[in-house]
Amino acid sequence: MSEMIAHLQLGFGVALSLQNIALAFAGCLVGTLIGVLPGVGPIATIAMLLPITFGLDPVGALIMLAGIYYGAQYGGSTTAILVNIPGEATAVVTTLDGHQMAKQGRAGVALGTAALGSFFAGCVATLIIAALGAPLTKLALLFGPAEYFSLMVMGLCFAVVLARGSILKAFCMIMLGLLLSTIGTDLETGQERMTFGFPPLSDGIDFAVLAMGVFGFAEVLRNLENPETRDVVRAKIGRLLPDWNDIKQSFLPVVRGTAIGGILGILPGNGAVLGPFASYTIEKKIAKDPSRFGRGAIEGVAGPESANNAGAQTAFIPLLTLGIPPNAVMALMVGAMTIHGIIPGPQVMTKNPELFWGMIASMWIGNLMLLIINLPLVGVWVKLLQVPYRLMFPAILIFCCIGIYSVNNQPVDVAFTALFGLFGYILIKLGFEPAPMLLGFVLGKLMEEKLRQALIISRGSFMTFIERPISGGLLAVAVIILVVALLPSISQKRDEVFTE
Amino acid sequence: MSLNTIERAQGLRVRSQQDLAAGLFMILLSVVALFLASDLPMGSLRQIGPGMLPKAFAVICAGLGVLLALSSLRYNGEKLSGWSWRGVIFVLGGAVVFGLTIRGFDLGPIKVPQLGLVVSGPLVVLISGLAADDRKIKELVIFAIVMTTFCALLFKYALGLPIPLAPWLLGI
Amino acid sequence: MKKLVLSLATTVALALTGSAQAQSKYPEKPITMIVPFAAGGPTDIIARIVGENMSKTLGQQVVIENVAGAGGTTGITRALTATPDGYTIAMGHLGTFSAAPATYPGLKYDPINGMQPIGLAGGTPILIVARKNFEPKDLKEFVAYVKTNTDKVNEAHAGVGSVSWTTCTLLKGQLGVPKLNAVAYRGTGPALNDLVSGQIDFMCDQIVSVAEQVKADTIKAYAIASTERSPALPNVPTTKEAGLPEYQIEAWNGIAAPKGTPKEVVDRLVDALDKALKDEGVKKRLLDLGTVMPSAEERTPAGFGALIKRDADKLSPTLAAAPK
Repeated sequence: MSEMIAHLQLGFGVALSLQNIALAFAGCLVGTLIGVLPGVGPIATIAMLLPITFGLDPVGALIMLAGIYYGAQYGGSTTAILVNIPGEATAVVTTLDGHQMAKQGRAGVALGTAALGSFFAGCVATLIIAALGAPLTKLALLFGPAEYFSLMVMGLCFAVVLARGSILKAFCMIMLGLLLSTIGTDLETGQERMTFGFPPLSDGIDFAVLAMGVFGFAEVLRNLENPETRDVVRAKIGRLLPDWNDIKQSFLPVVRGTAIGGILGILPGNGAVLGPFASYTIEKKIAKDPSRFGRGAIEGVAGPESANNAGAQTAFIPLLTLGIPPNAVMALMVGAMTIHGIIPGPQVMTKNPELFWGMIASMWIGNLMLLIINLPLVGVWVKLLQVPYRLMFPAILIFCCIGIYSVNNQPVDVAFTALFGLFGYILIKLGFEPAPMLLGFVLGKLMEEKLRQALIISRGSFMTFIERPISGGLLAVAVIILVVALLPSISQKRDEVFTE
Repeated sequence: MSLNTIERAQGLRVRSQQDLAAGLFMILLSVVALFLASDLPMGSLRQIGPGMLPKAFAVICAGLGVLLALSSLRYNGEKLSGWSWRGVIFVLGGAVVFGLTIRGFDLGPIKVPQLGLVVSGPLVVLISGLAADDRKIKELVIFAIVMTTFCALLFKYALGLPIPLAPWLLGI
Repeated sequence: MKKLVLSLATTVALALTGSAQAQSKYPEKPITMIVPFAAGGPTDIIARIVGENMSKTLGQQVVIENVAGAGGTTGITRALTATPDGYTIAMGHLGTFSAAPATYPGLKYDPINGMQPIGLAGGTPILIVARKNFEPKDLKEFVAYVKTNTDKVNEAHAGVGSVSWTTCTLLKGQLGVPKLNAVAYRGTGPALNDLVSGQIDFMCDQIVSVAEQVKADTIKAYAIASTERSPALPNVPTTKEAGLPEYQIEAWNGIAAPKGTPKEVVDRLVDALDKALKDEGVKKRLLDLGTVMPSAEERTPAGFGALIKRDADKLSPTLAAAPK
């Protein structure tokens, strides 16, 4: 304990220098402002802003970059709430209830809840990293391909619960997401799969392209069709910040979300992506009235947003203690560290203690900055909703186009996004929900990779998934989730039939 | 689940147009996927081939599609609502035009020069803006210019992204 | 329509005011260096370090454009089909310039005859690394173990076409065990994670990716596949010392331009690269990454071209025959 305090003292000593505070603030601010642009997700934001940190000293650069990361994450949530466009997989969940709240004139409350929840999660996660970072690393090493596969299966079961309407249609969307995830060059053999021989497809479909299409563009099309609903959004503004009731209602979801997101974030195989989904599932399942979910339930924003932020932060653990980046954002961090001559590895903690603890201290500072920057900004964002829709959507479109183009500097990606916009529009018309599809898509790639790895290592024995205790346990949880999710819906369908 | 008496009395008919169309849509996608994946080897359990999962997922998708189509005969549901093609054409068309013109495109006989953001930006705003019922052309034109200038300053100059502005005019 | 034209004209005028064009010799506008991988990877880092210094010499910004896709071949294809005016160049590596013709049958460029090499920016040695408690103690034992236990050993690589796949395929070809159990990962990070946790037995990868793990003793290194030991890991023997002299391979990074680039432009670029590599700051940063500085010969177009051809000849037979 005293050791931890000494470490944190060292860390705050580094992070609280005037220059580093300014960098953390600047990073959060720029990250928020760029991350809030529709079509520019956190990865694109960080990649765009990475070069501005090159001129700084290593510690300052990383502090600023971490600030950019939090800012981009929060900016992404803002876009998800305001215009229903998720910039990354974890923001998909936020769109479900967050955007509904915005439609009911509670955008400010949703944004405020997300900011407060994220701040709480950030504080807790910082303490977890400081106190338990090193021992928790062992948890990461317990997870081999078999465990990850089972974890992904469990994640897919969450997707069933996510669904607002028919369970059967949710299943359809998950499988379609999985199917889409197999498009592209096969990792193991290099063979092209279902690419029509079209080179831009050889790396598969980019998440940003798919999400921007089926959420962003399709949402614009949907709104253009129903001029009444979009004007209702503009008419109502409501309170700007959550009141005492909102806070009471969201406190426990925030705590649960923080715990779930924090644990999943430690897993180096991008477990953090599951956090918000898991949190949403649990909140919906334990709610007295689950039907409120998907219609603007504040718990559906508070829980997942906290899980998201906690996971975003504990994802630093594998990077800082093992030197292994758990996801694309952390891989960018590795690049940034390497460019500054710090090659991440297991010894960063002992070799560069001021960097290690400085960064951890700056995480907390970054979260505080995020709150300071964003609470006043809530008013500005909400005001943006008052822009007439006839101007709003062309603006969304040009940002989306530039954002998508900039991810890979590939113009074809923009055309693909339009194609997925059409696809998403058809899905809406057919009564499908795109959220489970995106989860299936994100988990599909990992799932196939891990399944094949596990089976090569086990020489083709499926028993490996059951024999290994963690893997077996996760599969058991998956079965339970599925049963719990399916039972009421089956009986409900029966009721419907009988009442007909 | 067996049909109850009322159901049986009414006989089988399409009770949910939307679900039937959704089921058929799933089946159609699965058939396309199966066709595209037909030449990929399945491999064995010990060494799963590139075709195993795509084919498996496609078959499950098709199965779910059949279930969905069948259930549309049993449960009441929504009708297919009208399609608004104007939105689809202008909004998605605007994005496609942006993609085609930002760096130029070379598709067989069709050649589009590299026009850059200075042209692609206003194009996407103008074309997509036409989709709104309450559009005002003058306002849209001004808005297109303002947005393009803003984006050029932000992305090209403030962030230094390698996005072409107007290679035919400015050389960058 | 009139209004549209008017608006375009205004926009153009707005954009024009910001940039007065100077009329002088090459380079008179920013140069785009295409990096065919995502930002933050080893090739990107080398490109950014070298490019920053080249900007100073050339008097124009060298802008890095990351065009990732298809093992780097998407970006290189774009660079090599650009107008050969020296304003579009590319930073490629062993995979995109030497291995790609054998790995990607439908490749749309020819790195040997259809490209103007500029020069080598840096060599990155390859290491053979294994999980900490893997039985063989040194390279000789490893070779014997792999040959007799082909069914027991699990090899990791970062996907077909990656550096680790390319170099390990060469190793397996030379050892006569092409059909080892190969476990594919999406990138070096996840593969390294499973190597550290002991799920898989060995892999080959660039020194910059594995050096810190070797230093921290979370994995062990059998040998480094270059002629000299690396100052970053002085205790790791070369393949020659350890008994496998024929396994020599480096994951170098180098700059190339489209074929037909004018000679004076090529000379300017070669000179800028050479100056960058002579700069003490650049040198230190590259050496920190475990990079081997290129010889004077390799910094010339002819020398770099010869290196590309030599490695292509070395890799092609094994890569073409590799079980995919």
